[in-house]
Amino acid sequence: MSSPRFLVLCLLAFACMAVPAAAQERAYFVTYDHYLEEPGNLEIAIASTTGIPKNNQRKYTAPWLELEYGFTGWWTGELYLEGVTTRGDGNAFTGWRFENRFRPLRDEHKITPVIYVEYESINEASRIQKEIVGSGGINFEPIDELREEHEHELEGKLILSSVVGPWNLSENFIMEKNLSASEGVEFGYSVGASRVLGTAARGASCRVCAENIIVGVEAYGGLGSTEGFARSEQRHYLAPVVGWRVGRDTTIKGSIAFGLTEQSDHLLLRVGVAFELPAGRIR
Amino acid sequence: MRQLPIWAGVVLFTAVAATAAQPARVREHNPGWVAPATANAKKNPLPDTPDLKAGGKRVFHARCSMCHGDDALGTERGPDLTQHDVQKQSDGALFWKITSGNTRTGMPTFSFLPEAQRWQLVMHVRGHARTP
Repeated sequence: MSSPRFLVLCLLAFACMAVPAAAQERAYFVTYDHYLEEPGNLEIAIASTTGIPKNNQRKYTAPWLELEYGFTGWWTGELYLEGVTTRGDGNAFTGWRFENRFRPLRDEHKITPVIYVEYESINEASRIQKEIVGSGGINFEPIDELREEHEHELEGKLILSSVVGPWNLSENFIMEKNLSASEGVEFGYSVGASRVLGTAARGASCRVCAENIIVGVEAYGGLGSTEGFARSEQRHYLAPVVGWRVGRDTTIKGSIAFGLTEQSDHLLLRVGVAFELPAGRIR
Repeated sequence: MRQLPIWAGVVLFTAVAATAAQPARVREHNPGWVAPATANAKKNPLPDTPDLKAGGKRVFHARCSMCHGDDALGTERGPDLTQHDVQKQSDGALFWKITSGNTRTGMPTFSFLPEAQRWQLVMHVRGHARTP
C-alpha cells in the first residue's frame, strides 16, 4: 500500500475515534502562540499545503498528520508524518518530525515565552512548509530523485506571545541546522495576530456564530543563513487565516498565503481539521 | 518495510497518551496559587442575567467540565470548584486564574477566550457555591 493511501486510512481511523473534549483553537498554520496542549490530551490533526508555483512549475499538495500530546502543563510534544503528491510526477512519504514546546513560566505575562525544539528526519521532497527558513525557492526536481536525499535537521524557535485586548500577537524567531550537510545555520521568522470574533457567549447553543470563529493574519519567511542573507533569494508570505470551531472537540481551519517575493510560490493554500481527545476517554 | 519504525512510533505515541490517565480521584485544590492583589480587586462587569448565566454554563461545559466535572465537583484532573477554599476567593482572583492558567498544575490558559466569556465562567462557578 502506498504511503499516501496509508496516511488517509490512518486519518480516517483517528477521525472515527474522536470524542468530545475542550479544544484550544489556533488559526495559525505556521506561527505558534503560548497555548500548549492540556496535560493528558491528545490532539490529532490532518492538514495539507497546496502550492501553486510560478513559472509553470507543477502544483503540489503536501498532506501531514499531526499528533499533539500534553505531557505536562509546561511541555507539549508533537509528532508529524508528512507526504507529498505532485501533479504528473508522483507522490512520496517525505519524513517525520518530533517537536517539543516548553513554557518555562508558571503564569501568563505581558509577553509569554515558549521554547521550541524540533528534530526532523525528512527528505528533499518535503513541501509542507510548516516553517520557512534559509534562502532559495522550492526544489522542483522529480520527486523520485528528491526522496533519496535525506536530511536530519535540528530546529529551535523562540516563541513570544501576548494578549492585547481580544487579540493574540505572536512572534517566532527560527533557527535551523541541517545535521546532514554543512549549510551553516538557517534563519526564519513568523508573526501573527488573531482573535475570536464573538464576545459574550449566548445561552442558546450555536454552531455558526461569531464566538466559534477565529480570524487572523500571519506572515512568515526565510531570511537566509550564516552563509548569506541575499534579499533576492528570500521567500516571504502573507496569509489571512480563519478557524471555525465546529464542535466541542473539532476545529477546521484554512489559509491562503500570498507569495511576496520572486522566490516564493504564487500561492500556498492550507486547510486542516483537528480533533482533541482527552487521554482518559480513549482507554 | 523501511517505514515500519515510523508507524511503530505512531502507535507508541498514541499508546503513551492513552495510558497516561490515572485512576479517578478528585484532585486537590492548590492553596499556594494566589492571584496578584491588583487582579483580586477586579469586579465582574457583567449583569447577572439569565442569558449570560446560561452562556456561562455552556462555556463551562465546553471548556472546563472535562477536568472539573459537569457539576464542578472536580475530577482527577481538576479540583472541586464548589469547595470553600475556591469560593472564598474574589471574582477578580477567579478571573485571573482562568485567564492565566498555571503550567505547574496543568490548568490551561484561557486568555484566548473573549474577556466576557471568562467573566461568564466566574459567574457560573459562583453558582456552584456549597451552602454551609
